[in-house]
Amino acid sequence: MDLVQLQRQLVDYRTSLYHEGFLDEQFTQLQELQDENNPDFVVEVVSLYFEDSERLLNELSKALEQQIIDFKRIDAHVHQFKGSSSSIGAQRVQRLCIVFRNYCEAQNVEGCLKCLQQVKHEYSIVKTKLESMFQLERQILNAGGSVPV
Amino acid sequence: MKLNLLIASRPVAILIFLAMLVLLPPSIVITWWYKTGRIIGENVDLNTQKLHSGCLSQVDTTAKSITPLNSSATNLAMLLSSSFNRTYEISFDDVETKVAPTLFLAFSTIPYLSQISYVGSGGLFFSYYFDGNQTVSAYANSSYSSNRKRYFWYKQPVDNHTGKFNGEAVRFRGFNATNTSWFRAALHNSRGYSSVETMWNSGDDPLFLTSVGMLGTGVISMGVPVKRLTDLFSGLDLHGGILSLITMDEKLLVDGIPNTKFISANSSIVLQLMNPNGAQNVSCTTPESYILHIGEEEYRVSCSAVEISGVPSVYALASPQKGLASLVHSKVNHSYIALIATIVFLVIVLVFFISSMGKTAQWMMCLHDKLIKQMEATQQAERKSMNKSLALVGASHDIRASLAGINGFIDLCLANAAPGSDFESYLKQMSHCAQDLLGLLNSILDTSKIEAGMMNLEEQEFNLAELVEHVVDLYHPVGMIKGVDVVLDPCDGSIVKLIQVKGDRGKLMQILSNVLSNAVKFTAEGHVCLRAWVGKPDFETEILASSRHSFHNYLSCLVKDENKARGDMNALRAVGQNHDSVEIVFEVDDTGKGIPKEKQKSVFENYVQVKETAAGQVGTGLGLGIVQSLVRLMGGEIGIADKEIGEKGTCFRFNVFLKTCEISSSGNLKGNKEAQGDAIRPPSPSLHVQTSSARLTVRTLSPKSDGSQVVLFMQNNERRRVSQKFMEGLGISVSVVDQCNYLPSALRKIQSKLNSYHHSSRRLDMSGRSDNSSSSSKEMPLSAMDGTDYKLPLNRRRDAPSFILLVIDVNAGPFSELWRIVAEFRRGLQSTCCKVVWLDKPTARMINPVRLDPGDEVLLQPFHGSRLRRVIKLLPEFGAASSQGASGNSESSKHSYSKARLRNSQHSGEIQEYVSSSDERYSKKGSSSSPTLVRTHVRVASKISPIHQHGAESSTGKPLFGKRILIAEDSQMLSFIATTTVRQLGADVKNCVNGKEAVELVCDGLKTQTNGLPYDYILMDCEMSEMDGYEATRLIRIEEEKYGVHIPIIALTAHTSGEEALEAGMDSHLVKPLKSEKLMEVIENIKRHSSG
Repeated sequence: MDLVQLQRQLVDYRTSLYHEGFLDEQFTQLQELQDENNPDFVVEVVSLYFEDSERLLNELSKALEQQIIDFKRIDAHVHQFKGSSSSIGAQRVQRLCIVFRNYCEAQNVEGCLKCLQQVKHEYSIVKTKLESMFQLERQILNAGGSVPV
Repeated sequence: MKLNLLIASRPVAILIFLAMLVLLPPSIVITWWYKTGRIIGENVDLNTQKLHSGCLSQVDTTAKSITPLNSSATNLAMLLSSSFNRTYEISFDDVETKVAPTLFLAFSTIPYLSQISYVGSGGLFFSYYFDGNQTVSAYANSSYSSNRKRYFWYKQPVDNHTGKFNGEAVRFRGFNATNTSWFRAALHNSRGYSSVETMWNSGDDPLFLTSVGMLGTGVISMGVPVKRLTDLFSGLDLHGGILSLITMDEKLLVDGIPNTKFISANSSIVLQLMNPNGAQNVSCTTPESYILHIGEEEYRVSCSAVEISGVPSVYALASPQKGLASLVHSKVNHSYIALIATIVFLVIVLVFFISSMGKTAQWMMCLHDKLIKQMEATQQAERKSMNKSLALVGASHDIRASLAGINGFIDLCLANAAPGSDFESYLKQMSHCAQDLLGLLNSILDTSKIEAGMMNLEEQEFNLAELVEHVVDLYHPVGMIKGVDVVLDPCDGSIVKLIQVKGDRGKLMQILSNVLSNAVKFTAEGHVCLRAWVGKPDFETEILASSRHSFHNYLSCLVKDENKARGDMNALRAVGQNHDSVEIVFEVDDTGKGIPKEKQKSVFENYVQVKETAAGQVGTGLGLGIVQSLVRLMGGEIGIADKEIGEKGTCFRFNVFLKTCEISSSGNLKGNKEAQGDAIRPPSPSLHVQTSSARLTVRTLSPKSDGSQVVLFMQNNERRRVSQKFMEGLGISVSVVDQCNYLPSALRKIQSKLNSYHHSSRRLDMSGRSDNSSSSSKEMPLSAMDGTDYKLPLNRRRDAPSFILLVIDVNAGPFSELWRIVAEFRRGLQSTCCKVVWLDKPTARMINPVRLDPGDEVLLQPFHGSRLRRVIKLLPEFGAASSQGASGNSESSKHSYSKARLRNSQHSGEIQEYVSSSDERYSKKGSSSSPTLVRTHVRVASKISPIHQHGAESSTGKPLFGKRILIAEDSQMLSFIATTTVRQLGADVKNCVNGKEAVELVCDGLKTQTNGLPYDYILMDCEMSEMDGYEATRLIRIEEEKYGVHIPIIALTAHTSGEEALEAGMDSHLVKPLKSEKLMEVIENIKRHSSG
């Protein structure tokens, strides 16, 4: 594939992600942090994020299945999830987390479950989008080009 | 049902029991009574019969006592006949010699004999008899002269004892003795013949005559008078009985019974009773008794045969019927009647009693029934109310959940909405509505929670003074819009000294917010003032002392005086909770419409609003109810304090009990710099308590510092009064001005005083000190509000203040005018340091910063609390003692304002310049005697170095080059980001994953590091597993204390507010995600603090 085309595709894709609100300027900041010393910084951070998030989502589902629901724990998890989401700039997930926390505060189980589904859904979207973006980047790198900033 | 049965059966049982009780004794008594009556009757009958038969037998005995003379007569006849020859005709001589003495002997010896006679068949006759008391003999002798026997009869009295004739014989016609029936019957009857005959004597008295024949030759007869018998009978006691006696040959001897007649029939005698209802014949042979009525009396008549002196006869005895027996019988009957009547009466009474009992029982049943129904109804109502409360809790809960969802989605929508579009503004309005709704719901939920008893207090440490100021600041803008000033009155400053307290911060804030918002809501003009102070501690000690008394005291108190008891109970509770607990009293005083006296009590009830004042106001009326519940939950009480007459508005007063935190206040000094810096430290330690005596000490202990003069120029009366009072409480000389017109004249006076002082300063130098100390003891004016517009303590001291602070509210007059006055005043001053603090409204920026003197402070209103204290610290007396803390504080505000002021300016260098110059200024201020003069030099000098320094740093792009930074973050990803960010800034990074590790690393670093800090900065995540950031910070601060160092700790939180972090002792906080610019900003800030 044409390298230039790929680079353009990446830029378009990235712009669309910002535009559709999947990512915000925090992601830009992360990208800015990436330099020669840390060439895979963003990928590393995002993969850490994925790891972290999957663990948290699992714990959340488990916690919500319990007979007696420990809302404090759920709240802590959601809080953590919100923090990590905001740190990579996954703002949709982050916003949902806020709603989730409201439900949690109100101890509304149904709302929590609904929110968990939404969060999972949103998270999977972000994940696929980010993964496809990284794939594009990898393709560009493999093709010998540089990733446009 | 069982209960009903029981209740129903009880009266019946009682009834039966009573009936038994009442009927049983009478039946026994009646039976016994009847029996006794009968026995008595029988006995009486028996006795009567006995009496009757006794009478009869007496009569018999008496009749028999007239012994028949047969034997003696027979014996006499035998004797006499034997003395005569049978053949021999008896002559009168024989009679006279032989018979007469024998007769007389018999006559005188035989008792009761009243007549004895010899009747010869030949016609001879000789007889002795009593005629009255004289014994008389009667005899018939045959005359000798005639052949024919011719008898001559003579009577001759005889001596009673000898029998000799002692009187003249009287001839009489004689008796026809031989012709009598008895003579003939007796002539040949040697056994004797008895009959009743008449006596010889003149009376013809009847007598019982017994005649015995003497072998046909004659008859001897002896007679006992009937009178003798009747005399005996009359001597008998017949108990009212009457006796009749008749011989068989119908010679009536005694005729006592009237209306009776003896009739002879068939050789027997029959008694005929002449009763009014007809005659009745009574046979005398049967021993029956019959009833005879004589007049009105009733008699019992019984007949019987009896032989009296050999004469067969019949007697009848009538004994009165109406005697003892009939009396007894009738009385017994009467007693029966009386008894029965009594019993009947008793039964009637019993029946009445029982019926009334029954009625009572019925009534009671009715009452019971009603009570049970009522109880059930009450229980049901309580259950319903409880259920309602619970349902309300549940419902509000669900609604809140939904609302939270709505809020969240509105936020989501807002994020997507194009900024500035209609859509966004609608969404914002929606959001506001939702927030309002949530607030309303929360208040309802609070109420229902309190009602359901589910409200609990959460304990956490917080700074009370900060909280109070925060709340007032919150409502200040709200009030400002309405033109109402919201003022915080620190009173004696006691809450500032408390520093850290433990309690439910959120709920206390809720209480204050509710009361304040109410006050602001209902106040149209004037001011709302929040006063807070620590309750008198002697209250507790007093209680402790009195707790030695027995608990009975409290009990009696409880009964005696409810209010007092409540107070005691509160005290008990307070003491019981903790000895460290303090009572905080709050007063919210407004100048609104006020609440009518009669409504003051109901204001605290739920859903109650005072109608007149509530017009046009919205609200559920739950606010004060919740406040009251919360206050009570905190062990306090809320009420409406009385205001003085003529004052407008309402004053709510309440108290709460909070715990003091000894650990945090005695902990590391630097960590609490913020908090402790707020507490004003006067130059002398004895000044820590700001009392009136403290004022004195200020001057006596620091005679060299001449004191400062503060001029307060403010529009709002209350705020001016509060500020003045507080400053004067600290011993600061204050003059107040309330109108723009008076400001120049006030300033001129100060100026002229200063000038005059300077002229005479040399002269006063010698006596200055002594004069100083003596004059300082003079009383200073407490209030400058009384009538005059301003008041200067001119007479207080002759020496002029060394430092003049003008606090000017720019809203009180046009800024340019004020600025001109101040500038003029400044020019007039010679050497005295002058500083101006401009008060500005946050909403209307009226100050032109360009024209300000660089030494001037600009403060955004409201001017109270920490801002007031900060201004006071500008004074040399207070600032000198703790210049570091003061500078730090004022620095931050300064910085924020400078930023605000210069936000539009593009020149970033100016920020640096400004900041660094102020750094310099504050660091030198302590030593500089005239900061204004030094200022220019500093500014010039400082212009170069910071810029240069900054430039060097920015050229490499690594402003943190060479710094060591510890990052404590448990999330691997965040830690990674942070590390990378910080590394990019050029710093060395050390990572750890929880608070515990962080503490360990710091401790190790402190131990090994001999000079300098182990880490220049610590980035601390607040929420970590194992040990969170707050706890770690506290521990690090404690550890640092030993080495006397202070490592800046920056909190990383996902929360927007960093209060908690600051309270925990962190220097600053950053909101996640970490951004390099913000980090740098914070680090710069910290640097300035530490260097300042």
